[in-house]
Amino acid sequence: MLLKNMKLAAVFIFILCGTVNAFALDEGGATAKQVVEKFQVDLIDVMKAGKKLGYAGRYDKLKDPVSNSHELTKIARIVVGKEWEKLSEEQQQKLVDVFSRLSIASYAHNFKDYSGESFVFDSEEETTRGGVVVHSHLVIPGDKPVKFDYMLKEKGNSWRIINIIANGVSDLALKRSEYTTILQREGFDVLISKINEKIDNYSKQ
Amino acid sequence: MNRSHKGDHSDKCQPTFSVLLVVLALTLVGCATTGDVEQQIVASKTDPYESFNRKMFGFNDSVDNYVAEPISNAYKWITPQFMQTGVFNFFNNLKNVNVVINDVLQAKFAQSAEDTGRFAINSTVGLGGLFDVAKHVGLEQNEEDFDQTLAVWGVPQGSYLVLPILGPSTARGIPGSIFDTAANPASYIGMPVQLLSLLNARASAEGALKFIDEAALDPYVFTRESFLQWRNHLATDGNSEASFDMDGLDDELLDDGNGAASSQGSLDGANANDKSGLDLRLDEKTKEIEQAPR
Repeated sequence: MLLKNMKLAAVFIFILCGTVNAFALDEGGATAKQVVEKFQVDLIDVMKAGKKLGYAGRYDKLKDPVSNSHELTKIARIVVGKEWEKLSEEQQQKLVDVFSRLSIASYAHNFKDYSGESFVFDSEEETTRGGVVVHSHLVIPGDKPVKFDYMLKEKGNSWRIINIIANGVSDLALKRSEYTTILQREGFDVLISKINEKIDNYSKQ
Repeated sequence: MNRSHKGDHSDKCQPTFSVLLVVLALTLVGCATTGDVEQQIVASKTDPYESFNRKMFGFNDSVDNYVAEPISNAYKWITPQFMQTGVFNFFNNLKNVNVVINDVLQAKFAQSAEDTGRFAINSTVGLGGLFDVAKHVGLEQNEEDFDQTLAVWGVPQGSYLVLPILGPSTARGIPGSIFDTAANPASYIGMPVQLLSLLNARASAEGALKFIDEAALDPYVFTRESFLQWRNHLATDGNSEASFDMDGLDDELLDDGNGAASSQGSLDGANANDKSGLDLRLDEKTKEIEQAPR
Protein backbone atom coordinates (compact mmCIF):
# COMPACT_ATOMS: atom_id res chain seq x y z
CA MET A 1 0.00 0.00 0.00
CA LEU A 2 2.80 2.31 0.95
CA LEU A 3 4.59 1.40 -2.25
CA LYS A 4 1.47 2.19 -4.23
CA ASN A 5 1.20 5.56 -2.54
CA MET A 6 4.81 6.33 -3.25
CA LYS A 7 4.24 5.46 -6.87
CA LEU A 8 1.25 7.73 -6.97
CA ALA A 9 3.25 10.48 -5.32
CA ALA A 10 6.04 10.01 -7.84
CA VAL A 11 3.58 10.16 -10.73
CA PHE A 12 2.03 13.24 -9.22
CA ILE A 13 5.41 14.94 -8.90
CA PHE A 14 6.22 14.07 -12.49
CA ILE A 15 2.96 15.54 -13.70
CA LEU A 16 3.55 18.64 -11.62
CA CYS A 17 7.05 19.05 -13.03
CA GLY A 18 5.67 18.49 -16.48
CA THR A 19 3.11 21.25 -16.17
CA VAL A 20 5.63 23.58 -14.61
CA ASN A 21 8.00 22.88 -17.49
CA ALA A 22 5.31 23.48 -20.04
CA PHE A 23 4.37 26.66 -18.29
CA ALA A 24 8.00 27.81 -18.25
CA LEU A 25 8.17 27.19 -21.99
CA ASP A 26 5.13 29.36 -22.53
CA GLU A 27 6.67 32.08 -20.47
CA GLY A 28 9.99 31.81 -22.19
CA GLY A 29 8.75 32.66 -25.69
CA ALA A 30 7.77 30.65 -28.71
CA THR A 31 9.10 27.16 -29.41
CA ALA A 32 10.88 26.40 -32.67
CA LYS A 33 7.76 24.82 -34.13
CA GLN A 34 5.63 27.82 -33.17
CA VAL A 35 8.08 30.24 -34.77
CA VAL A 36 8.05 28.30 -38.04
CA GLU A 37 4.30 27.83 -38.08
CA LYS A 38 3.60 31.47 -37.34
CA PHE A 39 5.90 32.50 -40.17
CA GLN A 40 4.23 30.05 -42.57
CA VAL A 41 0.78 31.36 -41.64
CA ASP A 42 1.95 34.94 -42.27
CA LEU A 43 3.44 33.89 -45.60
CA ILE A 44 0.26 32.16 -46.77
CA ASP A 45 -1.77 35.21 -45.70
CA VAL A 46 0.41 37.47 -47.81
CA MET A 47 0.13 35.05 -50.76
CA LYS A 48 -3.66 35.12 -50.48
CA ALA A 49 -3.70 38.90 -50.68
CA GLY A 50 -0.66 38.89 -52.96
CA LYS A 51 -2.16 40.26 -56.13
CA LYS A 52 -4.01 43.05 -54.39
CA LEU A 53 -0.99 44.05 -52.31
CA GLY A 54 1.45 44.22 -55.20
CA TYR A 55 5.18 43.90 -54.66
CA ALA A 56 5.51 46.92 -52.35
CA GLY A 57 2.55 45.82 -50.26
CA ARG A 58 3.88 42.29 -49.91
CA TYR A 59 7.30 43.64 -48.94
CA ASP A 60 5.80 45.80 -46.18
CA LYS A 61 3.62 42.98 -44.87
CA LEU A 62 6.51 40.51 -44.82
CA LYS A 63 9.10 42.82 -43.33
CA ASP A 64 8.26 42.09 -39.69
CA PRO A 65 7.41 38.39 -40.05
CA VAL A 66 10.73 37.72 -41.83
CA SER A 67 12.85 39.83 -39.46
CA ASN A 68 11.20 38.40 -36.36
CA SER A 69 11.46 34.75 -37.36
CA HIS A 70 14.83 34.73 -39.15
CA GLU A 71 18.16 35.43 -37.48
CA LEU A 72 19.20 37.69 -40.37
CA THR A 73 22.36 39.11 -38.76
CA LYS A 74 23.76 35.65 -38.13
CA ILE A 75 22.72 34.41 -41.57
CA ALA A 76 24.48 37.35 -43.23
CA ARG A 77 27.53 36.52 -41.18
CA ILE A 78 27.54 32.83 -42.07
CA VAL A 79 27.03 33.36 -45.81
CA VAL A 80 30.31 35.29 -46.07
CA GLY A 81 32.20 32.71 -43.99
CA LYS A 82 35.75 33.57 -43.05
CA GLU A 83 35.53 36.82 -45.00
CA TRP A 84 33.38 38.32 -42.23
CA GLU A 85 36.43 38.98 -40.06
CA LYS A 86 38.12 40.88 -42.88
CA LEU A 87 35.25 43.35 -43.25
CA SER A 88 35.22 46.66 -41.42
CA GLU A 89 32.40 47.37 -38.99
CA GLU A 90 30.65 49.63 -41.47
CA GLN A 91 30.94 46.98 -44.15
CA GLN A 92 29.50 44.36 -41.80
CA GLN A 93 26.59 46.63 -40.98
CA LYS A 94 26.04 47.41 -44.64
CA LEU A 95 26.07 43.70 -45.53
CA VAL A 96 23.53 42.84 -42.81
CA ASP A 97 21.33 45.70 -43.96
CA VAL A 98 21.42 44.87 -47.67
CA PHE A 99 21.13 41.14 -47.02
CA SER A 100 18.04 41.65 -44.85
CA ARG A 101 16.39 43.65 -47.61
CA LEU A 102 17.26 40.94 -50.15
CA SER A 103 15.72 38.23 -47.95
CA ILE A 104 12.44 40.11 -47.58
CA ALA A 105 12.44 41.08 -51.27
CA SER A 106 12.92 37.50 -52.44
CA TYR A 107 9.99 36.35 -50.30
CA ALA A 108 7.87 39.21 -51.64
CA HIS A 109 8.82 38.30 -55.20
CA ASN A 110 8.58 34.50 -55.05
CA PHE A 111 5.43 34.15 -52.96
CA LYS A 112 3.30 36.51 -54.95
CA ASP A 113 -0.01 34.71 -55.39
CA TYR A 114 -2.14 31.95 -53.98
CA SER A 115 -3.54 28.83 -55.61
CA GLY A 116 -4.52 26.67 -52.65
CA GLU A 117 -1.03 26.04 -51.21
CA SER A 118 -0.66 25.05 -47.58
CA PHE A 119 2.17 24.14 -45.21
CA VAL A 120 2.01 20.88 -43.30
CA PHE A 121 4.13 20.15 -40.22
CA ASP A 122 5.88 16.75 -40.35
CA SER A 123 8.25 16.42 -37.41
CA GLU A 124 10.71 18.16 -35.18
CA GLU A 125 14.20 17.00 -34.39
CA GLU A 126 16.96 18.20 -32.08
CA THR A 127 20.44 18.46 -33.48
CA THR A 128 23.48 17.37 -31.52
CA ARG A 129 24.46 20.91 -30.63
CA GLY A 130 21.21 22.29 -29.34
CA GLY A 131 19.62 23.40 -32.60
CA VAL A 132 16.22 22.24 -33.79
CA VAL A 133 15.14 21.17 -37.27
CA VAL A 134 11.47 21.54 -38.12
CA HIS A 135 10.48 19.33 -41.02
CA SER A 136 7.48 20.45 -43.02
CA HIS A 137 6.22 20.44 -46.58
CA LEU A 138 4.32 22.75 -48.83
CA VAL A 139 1.32 21.17 -50.51
CA ILE A 140 0.72 22.56 -54.00
CA PRO A 141 -2.53 21.47 -55.65
CA GLY A 142 -1.82 19.48 -58.82
CA ASP A 143 1.93 19.43 -58.21
CA LYS A 144 4.46 17.48 -56.17
CA PRO A 145 4.80 18.72 -52.58
CA VAL A 146 7.98 20.64 -51.73
CA LYS A 147 9.90 19.67 -48.60
CA PHE A 148 10.81 22.61 -46.37
CA ASP A 149 13.21 21.89 -43.52
CA TYR A 150 13.90 24.80 -41.18
CA MET A 151 16.95 24.87 -38.97
CA LEU A 152 16.57 27.01 -35.87
CA LYS A 153 18.84 28.24 -33.12
CA GLU A 154 17.86 29.63 -29.74
CA LYS A 155 18.30 33.35 -29.39
CA GLY A 156 17.59 34.78 -25.98
CA ASN A 157 14.36 33.08 -24.97
CA SER A 158 13.04 32.50 -28.46
CA TRP A 159 13.95 30.52 -31.55
CA ARG A 160 15.07 31.93 -34.88
CA ILE A 161 15.39 30.38 -38.33
CA ILE A 162 18.96 30.30 -39.60
CA ASN A 163 18.59 27.99 -42.59
CA ILE A 164 15.91 26.71 -44.92
CA ILE A 165 16.42 23.53 -46.91
CA ALA A 166 13.94 23.27 -49.78
CA ASN A 167 13.78 19.81 -51.37
CA GLY A 168 17.30 19.10 -50.15
CA VAL A 169 18.80 22.35 -51.38
CA SER A 170 20.19 24.39 -48.50
CA ASP A 171 19.67 28.10 -48.94
CA LEU A 172 22.54 28.92 -46.60
CA ALA A 173 25.06 26.64 -48.32
CA LEU A 174 24.03 27.96 -51.73
CA LYS A 175 24.37 31.60 -50.73
CA ARG A 176 27.58 30.93 -48.88
CA SER A 177 29.24 29.47 -51.97
CA GLU A 178 28.14 32.40 -54.09
CA TYR A 179 28.97 35.17 -51.62
CA THR A 180 32.39 33.90 -50.63
CA THR A 181 33.33 33.34 -54.28
CA ILE A 182 32.36 36.89 -55.22
CA LEU A 183 33.99 38.42 -52.13
CA GLN A 184 37.27 36.64 -52.75
CA ARG A 185 37.43 37.34 -56.45
CA GLU A 186 35.67 40.63 -56.96
CA GLY A 187 35.50 42.26 -53.56
CA PHE A 188 32.97 43.75 -51.19
CA ASP A 189 31.64 46.57 -53.37
CA VAL A 190 30.84 44.23 -56.26
CA LEU A 191 29.00 41.89 -53.88
CA ILE A 192 26.88 44.73 -52.50
CA SER A 193 26.09 46.11 -55.95
CA LYS A 194 25.11 42.64 -57.19
CA ILE A 195 22.77 42.18 -54.23
CA ASN A 196 21.25 45.62 -54.82
CA GLU A 197 20.76 44.76 -58.48
CA LYS A 198 18.79 41.64 -57.45
CA ILE A 199 16.60 43.66 -55.08
CA ASP A 200 15.93 46.14 -57.89
CA ASN A 201 14.96 43.38 -60.29
CA TYR A 202 12.64 41.79 -57.73
CA SER A 203 10.88 45.10 -57.20
CA LYS A 204 10.30 45.63 -60.91
CA GLN A 205 8.53 42.36 -61.63
CA MET B 1 5.97 29.57 -56.44
CA ASN B 2 9.21 29.51 -58.31
CA ARG B 3 10.93 28.08 -55.27
CA SER B 4 9.50 24.68 -56.02
CA HIS B 5 11.35 24.51 -59.29
CA LYS B 6 14.75 24.97 -57.75
CA GLY B 7 15.89 21.48 -58.49
CA ASP B 8 14.14 20.98 -61.77
CA HIS B 9 16.93 22.38 -63.86
CA SER B 10 18.29 18.85 -64.02
CA ASP B 11 15.63 18.37 -66.70
CA LYS B 12 17.84 20.34 -68.95
CA CYS B 13 20.56 17.75 -68.81
CA GLN B 14 18.45 14.77 -69.71
CA PRO B 15 20.54 12.35 -71.75
CA THR B 16 19.41 12.57 -75.30
CA PHE B 17 22.22 12.76 -77.81
CA SER B 18 23.57 9.37 -76.98
CA VAL B 19 26.39 9.37 -79.53
CA LEU B 20 27.63 12.79 -78.51
CA LEU B 21 27.47 11.69 -74.92
CA VAL B 22 29.64 8.64 -75.42
CA VAL B 23 32.29 10.66 -77.25
CA LEU B 24 32.22 13.26 -74.49
CA ALA B 25 32.33 10.69 -71.76
CA LEU B 26 35.46 9.16 -73.26
CA THR B 27 37.29 12.47 -73.46
CA LEU B 28 36.15 13.67 -70.06
CA VAL B 29 36.80 10.45 -68.19
CA GLY B 30 40.27 10.80 -69.66
CA CYS B 31 40.54 14.24 -68.11
CA ALA B 32 39.20 12.98 -64.81
CA THR B 33 41.84 10.32 -64.41
CA THR B 34 44.78 12.52 -65.34
CA GLY B 35 43.54 15.27 -63.01
CA ASP B 36 44.38 13.59 -59.70
CA VAL B 37 47.62 15.45 -59.16
CA GLU B 38 46.06 18.74 -60.06
CA GLN B 39 43.35 18.20 -57.46
CA GLN B 40 45.84 18.65 -54.61
CA ILE B 41 46.99 22.02 -55.90
CA VAL B 42 43.56 23.50 -56.50
CA ALA B 43 41.73 24.27 -53.25
CA SER B 44 38.33 23.17 -54.53
CA LYS B 45 37.51 19.54 -53.91
CA THR B 46 34.33 19.18 -55.88
CA ASP B 47 35.19 21.47 -58.77
CA PRO B 48 38.85 21.12 -59.74
CA TYR B 49 38.09 21.89 -63.39
CA GLU B 50 36.33 25.17 -62.68
CA SER B 51 37.97 27.15 -65.46
CA PHE B 52 36.97 24.51 -68.05
CA ASN B 53 33.52 24.20 -66.49
CA ARG B 54 32.96 27.95 -66.54
CA LYS B 55 33.80 28.02 -70.23
CA MET B 56 31.31 25.24 -70.90
CA PHE B 57 28.72 26.96 -68.73
CA GLY B 58 29.17 30.13 -70.74
CA PHE B 59 28.94 28.16 -73.99
CA ASN B 60 25.76 26.37 -72.87
CA ASP B 61 24.28 29.66 -71.75
CA SER B 62 24.90 31.19 -75.19
CA VAL B 63 23.45 28.12 -76.93
CA ASP B 64 20.44 28.39 -74.66
CA ASN B 65 19.99 32.13 -75.27
CA TYR B 66 20.43 32.02 -79.02
CA VAL B 67 19.12 28.58 -79.98
CA ALA B 68 17.28 26.57 -77.34
CA GLU B 69 15.26 29.38 -75.76
CA PRO B 70 13.93 30.88 -79.03
CA ILE B 71 12.98 27.43 -80.33
CA SER B 72 11.45 26.48 -77.01
CA ASN B 73 9.45 29.72 -76.93
CA ALA B 74 8.21 29.08 -80.46
CA TYR B 75 7.26 25.55 -79.44
CA LYS B 76 5.35 26.84 -76.45
CA TRP B 77 3.63 29.44 -78.61
CA ILE B 78 2.37 26.98 -81.22
CA THR B 79 1.69 24.06 -78.89
CA PRO B 80 -1.34 24.11 -76.61
CA GLN B 81 -0.64 23.43 -72.92
CA PHE B 82 -2.47 20.08 -72.90
CA MET B 83 -0.21 18.84 -75.71
CA GLN B 84 2.92 19.98 -73.89
CA THR B 85 1.71 18.12 -70.82
CA GLY B 86 0.94 15.09 -72.97
CA VAL B 87 4.41 15.09 -74.51
CA PHE B 88 5.98 15.50 -71.07
CA ASN B 89 3.89 12.63 -69.70
CA PHE B 90 4.75 10.41 -72.67
CA PHE B 91 8.52 10.70 -72.19
CA ASN B 92 8.20 10.64 -68.45
CA ASN B 93 6.30 7.37 -68.70
CA LEU B 94 8.98 5.77 -70.91
CA LYS B 95 11.54 6.81 -68.30
CA ASN B 96 9.77 4.51 -65.84
CA VAL B 97 11.33 1.46 -67.50
CA ASN B 98 14.66 2.81 -66.32
CA VAL B 99 13.22 3.79 -62.93
CA VAL B 100 12.04 0.22 -62.33
CA ILE B 101 15.43 -1.24 -63.32
CA ASN B 102 17.17 1.11 -60.90
CA ASP B 103 14.65 0.40 -58.14
CA VAL B 104 15.63 -3.25 -58.39
CA LEU B 105 19.37 -2.49 -58.57
CA GLN B 106 19.00 -0.49 -55.35
CA ALA B 107 16.98 -3.32 -53.75
CA LYS B 108 13.89 -1.11 -53.44
CA PHE B 109 11.51 -3.92 -54.29
CA ALA B 110 8.29 -2.43 -52.95
CA GLN B 111 8.95 0.76 -54.87
CA SER B 112 9.78 -1.22 -58.01
CA ALA B 113 6.37 -2.91 -57.80
CA GLU B 114 4.70 0.49 -57.46
CA ASP B 115 6.63 1.94 -60.38
CA THR B 116 5.83 -1.09 -62.53
CA GLY B 117 2.17 -0.55 -61.70
CA ARG B 118 2.55 3.10 -62.56
CA PHE B 119 4.08 2.27 -65.94
CA ALA B 120 1.38 -0.33 -66.66
CA ILE B 121 -1.52 1.98 -65.77
CA ASN B 122 -0.21 4.94 -67.73
CA SER B 123 0.72 2.83 -70.77
CA THR B 124 -2.79 1.36 -70.96
CA VAL B 125 -5.46 3.52 -69.34
CA GLY B 126 -3.23 6.56 -69.86
CA LEU B 127 -3.21 5.94 -73.63
CA GLY B 128 0.45 5.07 -74.09
CA GLY B 129 1.57 7.46 -71.36
CA LEU B 130 -0.04 10.65 -72.70
CA PHE B 131 -2.10 10.96 -69.52
CA ASP B 132 -0.67 10.58 -66.04
CA VAL B 133 -3.54 8.54 -64.62
CA ALA B 134 -1.36 6.87 -61.99
CA LYS B 135 -0.80 10.17 -60.21
CA HIS B 136 -4.51 10.38 -59.49
CA VAL B 137 -4.60 6.95 -57.87
CA GLY B 138 -1.75 7.91 -55.55
CA LEU B 139 1.23 6.56 -57.48
CA GLU B 140 3.66 9.48 -57.63
CA GLN B 141 6.52 9.56 -60.09
CA ASN B 142 9.75 8.43 -58.43
CA GLU B 143 13.11 9.83 -59.44
CA GLU B 144 15.62 7.03 -59.83
CA ASP B 145 18.53 6.70 -62.21
CA PHE B 146 21.79 4.84 -62.56
CA ASP B 147 23.84 7.64 -61.03
CA GLN B 148 21.80 7.20 -57.83
CA THR B 149 22.26 3.44 -58.04
CA LEU B 150 26.02 3.91 -58.26
CA ALA B 151 25.80 6.22 -55.23
CA VAL B 152 23.90 3.56 -53.30
CA TRP B 153 26.60 1.06 -54.27
CA GLY B 154 29.18 3.36 -52.73
CA VAL B 155 30.76 4.86 -55.83
CA PRO B 156 32.02 8.36 -54.95
CA GLN B 157 30.50 11.28 -56.83
CA GLY B 158 33.74 12.51 -58.33
CA SER B 159 34.39 15.92 -59.78
CA TYR B 160 31.73 18.33 -60.95
CA LEU B 161 31.64 18.64 -64.73
CA VAL B 162 29.69 20.85 -67.08
CA LEU B 163 29.09 19.02 -70.36
CA PRO B 164 28.47 20.83 -73.64
CA ILE B 165 24.71 21.05 -74.37
CA LEU B 166 23.88 18.51 -71.67
CA GLY B 167 24.78 20.75 -68.74
CA PRO B 168 25.80 19.90 -65.15
CA SER B 169 27.07 16.42 -64.33
CA THR B 170 29.72 14.65 -62.28
CA ALA B 171 32.36 12.04 -63.03
CA ARG B 172 29.91 9.43 -61.71
CA GLY B 173 27.02 10.98 -63.62
CA ILE B 174 28.57 10.21 -67.02
CA PRO B 175 28.49 6.39 -66.86
CA GLY B 176 25.13 6.90 -65.13
CA SER B 177 23.78 8.84 -68.10
CA ILE B 178 25.08 6.27 -70.60
CA PHE B 179 23.26 3.50 -68.75
CA ASP B 180 20.09 5.57 -68.44
CA THR B 181 20.14 6.42 -72.14
CA ALA B 182 20.55 2.76 -73.03
CA ALA B 183 17.71 1.73 -70.71
CA ASN B 184 15.27 4.35 -72.01
CA PRO B 185 13.04 3.19 -74.89
CA ALA B 186 12.86 6.79 -76.13
CA SER B 187 16.53 6.52 -77.12
CA TYR B 188 15.66 3.98 -79.82
CA ILE B 189 12.81 5.83 -81.44
CA GLY B 190 14.82 8.15 -83.64
CA MET B 191 16.09 11.66 -83.92
CA PRO B 192 12.94 13.77 -84.49
CA VAL B 193 11.25 12.26 -81.45
CA GLN B 194 14.33 12.83 -79.32
CA LEU B 195 14.45 16.44 -80.42
CA LEU B 196 10.86 16.81 -79.31
CA SER B 197 11.81 15.34 -75.95
CA LEU B 198 14.68 17.81 -75.62
CA LEU B 199 12.49 20.72 -76.66
CA ASN B 200 9.83 19.76 -74.19
CA ALA B 201 12.39 19.36 -71.41
CA ARG B 202 13.65 22.88 -72.13
CA ALA B 203 10.09 24.20 -72.08
CA SER B 204 9.36 22.60 -68.70
CA ALA B 205 12.65 23.84 -67.25
CA GLU B 206 11.67 27.43 -68.08
CA GLY B 207 10.58 28.20 -64.51
CA ALA B 208 13.77 26.85 -62.97
CA LEU B 209 15.98 28.71 -65.43
CA LYS B 210 14.10 31.92 -64.77
CA PHE B 211 14.52 31.38 -61.05
CA ILE B 212 18.29 30.97 -61.41
CA ASP B 213 18.45 34.07 -63.54
CA GLU B 214 16.55 36.07 -60.93
CA ALA B 215 18.12 34.74 -57.77
CA ALA B 216 21.74 34.01 -58.62
CA LEU B 217 24.51 36.48 -57.95
CA ASP B 218 26.93 34.10 -59.65
CA PRO B 219 24.83 31.82 -61.89
CA TYR B 220 27.69 29.35 -62.35
CA VAL B 221 28.18 28.79 -58.61
CA PHE B 222 24.43 28.82 -57.99
CA THR B 223 23.85 26.13 -60.61
CA ARG B 224 26.74 24.00 -59.40
CA GLU B 225 25.74 24.10 -55.74
CA SER B 226 22.06 23.50 -56.33
CA PHE B 227 22.82 20.69 -58.79
CA LEU B 228 25.20 18.89 -56.40
CA GLN B 229 22.86 19.30 -53.43
CA TRP B 230 19.86 18.16 -55.47
CA ARG B 231 21.70 15.06 -56.71
CA ASN B 232 22.82 14.28 -53.17
CA HIS B 233 19.24 14.69 -51.97
CA LEU B 234 18.02 12.21 -54.60
CA ALA B 235 20.81 9.70 -54.01
CA THR B 236 20.13 9.59 -50.28
CA ASP B 237 16.35 9.77 -50.73
CA GLY B 238 16.29 12.97 -48.72
CA ASN B 239 17.65 11.41 -45.56
CA SER B 240 21.11 12.83 -45.16
CA GLU B 241 21.19 16.41 -46.27
CA ALA B 242 19.73 17.94 -43.13
CA SER B 243 22.12 16.31 -40.71
CA PHE B 244 25.05 16.84 -43.06
CA ASP B 245 24.26 20.47 -43.27
CA MET B 246 23.67 20.87 -39.55
CA ASP B 247 27.04 19.55 -38.50
CA GLY B 248 29.04 21.97 -40.57
CA LEU B 249 26.90 24.91 -39.62
CA ASP B 250 26.89 24.06 -35.94
CA ASP B 251 30.66 24.09 -35.90
CA GLU B 252 30.55 27.49 -37.45
CA LEU B 253 28.10 28.84 -34.93
CA LEU B 254 29.82 27.40 -31.90
CA ASP B 255 33.09 28.96 -32.87
CA ASP B 256 31.18 32.13 -33.59
CA GLY B 257 32.46 32.34 -37.10
CA ASN B 258 36.16 32.34 -36.23
CA GLY B 259 37.85 30.33 -38.90
CA ALA B 260 35.66 27.31 -38.34
CA ALA B 261 34.69 27.49 -41.96
CA SER B 262 37.49 25.14 -42.90
CA SER B 263 35.45 22.29 -41.47
CA GLN B 264 32.99 22.81 -44.28
CA GLY B 265 35.15 21.36 -46.96
CA SER B 266 32.48 20.80 -49.54
CA LEU B 267 30.92 24.20 -49.11
CA ASP B 268 34.15 26.11 -49.13
CA GLY B 269 35.37 23.91 -51.91
CA ALA B 270 33.72 26.40 -54.18
CA ASN B 271 36.15 29.08 -53.27
CA ALA B 272 39.33 28.12 -54.92
CA ASN B 273 41.52 31.14 -54.50
CA ASP B 274 42.12 31.22 -58.17
CA LYS B 275 43.10 34.70 -59.10
CA SER B 276 44.77 33.91 -62.36
CA GLY B 277 44.13 36.24 -65.26
CA LEU B 278 42.23 33.54 -67.07
CA ASP B 279 39.69 33.15 -64.30
CA LEU B 280 39.08 36.84 -63.93
CA ARG B 281 38.55 37.18 -67.62
CA LEU B 282 36.10 34.31 -67.48
CA ASP B 283 34.32 35.83 -64.54
CA GLU B 284 33.79 38.96 -66.49
CA LYS B 285 32.55 36.94 -69.38
CA THR B 286 30.05 35.17 -67.17
CA LYS B 287 28.92 38.48 -65.82
CA GLU B 288 28.28 39.71 -69.31
CA ILE B 289 26.24 36.67 -70.12
CA GLU B 290 24.36 37.04 -66.87
CA GLN B 291 23.44 40.60 -67.75
CA ALA B 292 22.69 39.93 -71.38
CA PRO B 293 19.05 38.78 -71.07
CA ARG B 294 18.02 41.88 -69.15
